[in-house]
Amino acid sequence: MFRAYEFYLVPHRLVAKTSLTSPPWPEVKLPDPVEEAKYHAEVVQKVNGLIAAGQYGRLFAVVHFASKQWKITSEDLIMMDNVLEAECGDRIRMEKVLLVGADDFTLIGRPLLGKDLVRVEATVIEKTESWPKVNMRFWRRHNYQRKKIIANPQTVLRINTIEIYPCLS
Amino acid sequence: MVVLSAARWVRSRLSDRFWRVQEVLKYARHFRGRKNRCYKLAVKSVRRAFVRSTKARREKKRFLRALWITRIEAASLEHGLKYPAFISNLLKSQVELNRKVLADLAIYEPKTFKSLAALAQRRRQEGFLAALGDGKEPEGIFSRIVHHHY
Repeated sequence: MFRAYEFYLVPHRLVAKTSLTSPPWPEVKLPDPVEEAKYHAEVVQKVNGLIAAGQYGRLFAVVHFASKQWKITSEDLIMMDNVLEAECGDRIRMEKVLLVGADDFTLIGRPLLGKDLVRVEATVIEKTESWPKVNMRFWRRHNYQRKKIIANPQTVLRINTIEIYPCLS
Repeated sequence: MVVLSAARWVRSRLSDRFWRVQEVLKYARHFRGRKNRCYKLAVKSVRRAFVRSTKARREKKRFLRALWITRIEAASLEHGLKYPAFISNLLKSQVELNRKVLADLAIYEPKTFKSLAALAQRRRQEGFLAALGDGKEPEGIFSRIVHHHY
């Protein structure tokens, strides 16, 4: 009487194959760290070269500003729903840049990119109020209604330039 | 003679009734049916419209977040990753992009999204390897599996 068992071969011993012998994910093999480091250095050098030579088209950036994240390019208009303590016509530099990209490469920050790597400049164009929004509360049969008109202050910025410098390592 | 109160036939009457009515009707002009013309019906509809718009302003944020999540899920499935794997591995690699921006990148910057998906996939594999550890059994455990040494 011969019964064929499935044996799971581990170096040095044979173990019966159960549902828990191998993990539920497929086996993973990472590439060789030394070769990987070489490849990474090559890529970084290439990208540095591209940046230094200026061979990129339009740059886009993801910037954290006014507690929101914005995906911006140059000549972009941005409207914030709050007050900025800067006069109209002031130039502003946005420092919290999360991501910068061009057609061939992207620089992803973890979580932010260095200030010596990217420079995003914007100008304050307009400081207005929003259109009058109506806030109303009403409970039926209780003779309760409240009406409030809210006009938030808004600021409009124009993104002038996004520049990157070849200081990758 | 001294008169302390006005005579009974002197009444205080509205002179700007027209403008008070127009204040309400101007918000109802684009409604359907008689409620865009008749004041009594318009007052009720305009009140409901205002209340609904205040509540909708709070729910709009929820809708938009669900929409972004659907879009990111679709885009990451195109690259062979599921949404929870994608987001959790991006956060573990200290990339703090929010869902709005990720959805925009998925639509307008497909190459960048592909590189983010590759980053998340790589971090996922490193996590699997770290979970497996050495591959040896922990010390002090008596295993019930019979080891056949050949």
